[in-house]
Amino acid sequence: MIHNLLAFAAAALPSVAPLAPAATRLASSDAPLAIRARSVWTGTKVLENAIVVVEDGRIRAVGTEVEIPDGAEVLEHEGVLTAGMIALHGTAGAVGETRDSTRPAMPEARMGIPVDGRSADFAPLWNAGITSLLVTPDSSGITSGTTALVRTADGKVLRDPAHLSLVFSNEGLSSNREPTSRSGALALLNELFKKSSGVVADAKSGKLTCLFEVRERDDVLRAIAFAKDRKLSGALHGAWLSGELSEPIRDSGLFVIVPALGVGTPKRALDAVVRLEKDGVVFGFGLDAPWNHPDLLRLSAALCVRAGLDSQAAWRGLTANAAKISGVEARIGRIERGLEADLVLWSGDPLDLATRAEVVITAGKALTVERPNQNGAKESK
Amino acid sequence: MSFFAAFVLSVALPGTEDPEQRAWTIQAERVYTGTGRNLEKGLVVVSAGKISAVTPGAGDDGERPRDRLSVYAVTAGFVDIGVRVTNWYSVEQSKEVTPHLRVADTLDPFALDWDRQLRNGVTTVLVSPADRNVIGGLSVALKTAGPESISARTLRADAVLRGSMGSEPSSGNHPAFGRPTDFYSRRPTTRMGVEWEWRNAFFTAAEKRDTKDAGTATLIAALQGKMPIFIQAWTTQDIRTAVFLREEVESRPEFQGMNTPRFVIDAGAEAWKEPQLLARSKTAVVLPPFPASARTRENSLMAWNVAKVLEDAGVPFALSGHGSGDVSDRLAIQAGYAMAGGIGFESALAAVTSTPAMLIGVDARVGTLEVGKDADLVLWSGEPFQPGTRVVATIVDGVLRYEGWNAVRGAEIAR
Repeated sequence: MIHNLLAFAAAALPSVAPLAPAATRLASSDAPLAIRARSVWTGTKVLENAIVVVEDGRIRAVGTEVEIPDGAEVLEHEGVLTAGMIALHGTAGAVGETRDSTRPAMPEARMGIPVDGRSADFAPLWNAGITSLLVTPDSSGITSGTTALVRTADGKVLRDPAHLSLVFSNEGLSSNREPTSRSGALALLNELFKKSSGVVADAKSGKLTCLFEVRERDDVLRAIAFAKDRKLSGALHGAWLSGELSEPIRDSGLFVIVPALGVGTPKRALDAVVRLEKDGVVFGFGLDAPWNHPDLLRLSAALCVRAGLDSQAAWRGLTANAAKISGVEARIGRIERGLEADLVLWSGDPLDLATRAEVVITAGKALTVERPNQNGAKESK
Repeated sequence: MSFFAAFVLSVALPGTEDPEQRAWTIQAERVYTGTGRNLEKGLVVVSAGKISAVTPGAGDDGERPRDRLSVYAVTAGFVDIGVRVTNWYSVEQSKEVTPHLRVADTLDPFALDWDRQLRNGVTTVLVSPADRNVIGGLSVALKTAGPESISARTLRADAVLRGSMGSEPSSGNHPAFGRPTDFYSRRPTTRMGVEWEWRNAFFTAAEKRDTKDAGTATLIAALQGKMPIFIQAWTTQDIRTAVFLREEVESRPEFQGMNTPRFVIDAGAEAWKEPQLLARSKTAVVLPPFPASARTRENSLMAWNVAKVLEDAGVPFALSGHGSGDVSDRLAIQAGYAMAGGIGFESALAAVTSTPAMLIGVDARVGTLEVGKDADLVLWSGEPFQPGTRVVATIVDGVLRYEGWNAVRGAEIAR
């Protein structure tokens, strides 16, 4: 699959010529890869003129004094090297398969099942430097099942189930089936959590984290109270203003997934994200792919930086902290010895929207990025 | 009077540097305590969120001016027990009878409704589920200001079991001719059906006596009088239905040990037609706001002197703003209307403070201006309930939560 994609990419895009030949060789070579980049954002620090060595799909070494192994392919990169981004909310690869609004509770439904690895939804994400996507069930009902973390290069499911989705926003209510009310929804959730098997039992024992779907601040308060009562862990997704409750959220130990922002997002919502960081809440960003353009993920973080968020903190929200929220921080999300080599070579500062992803590496395999046409679809020959 | 209040306040009101300040000396031309003992030129002293002294005198202007508020009149904060700050998400419409569901679980502490209540001098509310099923669930008594959390503002959880007679619980329903298409096909479509749901719920609870089931346990507690049962009944017909249902529970052997329910008629617009029935059955009434057209919901006809008729018959009554956003439905204006209908000032004051507090069991904390009670206070520009009088400030638990737009200092008007 990767090889096919690569061949296609290399043939279609001579415009990235300086790197394309290297990438072509890499894909067919088992030799170690060494990338010398002007700047490396590891997810914990920024290294100038540093080298990252990749071998067997993993990161073998990171640093400014790293020795390049014999026989290694060497990539000289004038831009910034980062870990691949992780988008934390979306339905790419499973559009139309995320909802069963006839039933209010389907805790055992798994988003990992319908995800189609060959879906055309993934290429635009991958081209934009998003190497993983958290595929999330619909919010119609009190729970529509569990989330799955999917690799965008090949649709491989990295973690399934990743979270049990629990809905605290009004989206979970209906006008023609139970529940119609917030109190009715809570009664159903309380009933559901009497179960002692399956994903509910896993959530109660801490084996499975939860994704709390919220929208308004009072939804956040209800979700926190529910999580506290049952000692649940997980992340709150969907409330623009959740940062205004950063203290109770921090005290609850829950993470936050900031919903996709836009140029029209009020400053109050951006300030709220800045508060999350200030008060020590771990947060990432949602995208709602494929409905939103993949570059909206970087734009969301960039808007927060404009509102005063530290740029490395914003970048952690797209990578290291997103991995933590997805429960895969031991595998991906940072450039660190031993982690899987999901890397992006950016033409410049990745939070500058004029910057492009030039090469995206998934599990050590480098692929040049295709230039999407105006519709975001792949160019054909 | 308003000139007086604005002038003195402009000198005396503190800044906002300490929003949680809980100690005040309120100097007023009139202190209406709600206990029958009123003061001309008196002081109300607030400390640690409670009323610590109510004394005659003018105090000493030179002492701690930051803590001093000077107004024409002060009363206890209003208690509105007919509030619906909720939307349709506050009631579970998929079932007709949901006694154990708590409206508290549906409330938003950040909603703007709370500010509107504060501006109108309302400091305690009873919030009930919307009237879209028959027995909607448990109402909550809470303060209109305080911490950003419903539980922290709650005065009394599960204060009242709330439901409705009449046609509103069946609004939106349609009879199931042929095959039912959704759950609106199966709910009651008539007054008779609504009343049957009540009776069926009561008799089933009496038969099961199962306190492990949350709904049954709630019904039994209510039938035993552990919490009042508020029944919305706008029309005479529905008021009679509710009273007869209560008398049935009291007299039938099935209800032995659970035959002492406390019924309150909520939104009893036509209570003036049946004062003797209400007096005989010792049933209190919450009145809805006066409609401009005399006709109100359920096509009920509300008389201007309904409060007076109830007072004369010895029926306890409270006035309510019914959570309406309409300026003319404000509780202070309702008290004025009731006075125009024939009741006196003290009676009108009681109908918006101590009587509603007593009906929902929070009278030990709020409802009168007495030493030891919560410092929930309304500061007035003139005589309360008069059309030209404004609420200039509202204090909840000792914290100044609302300042009228022209009652603050010059520097803040410029803001």
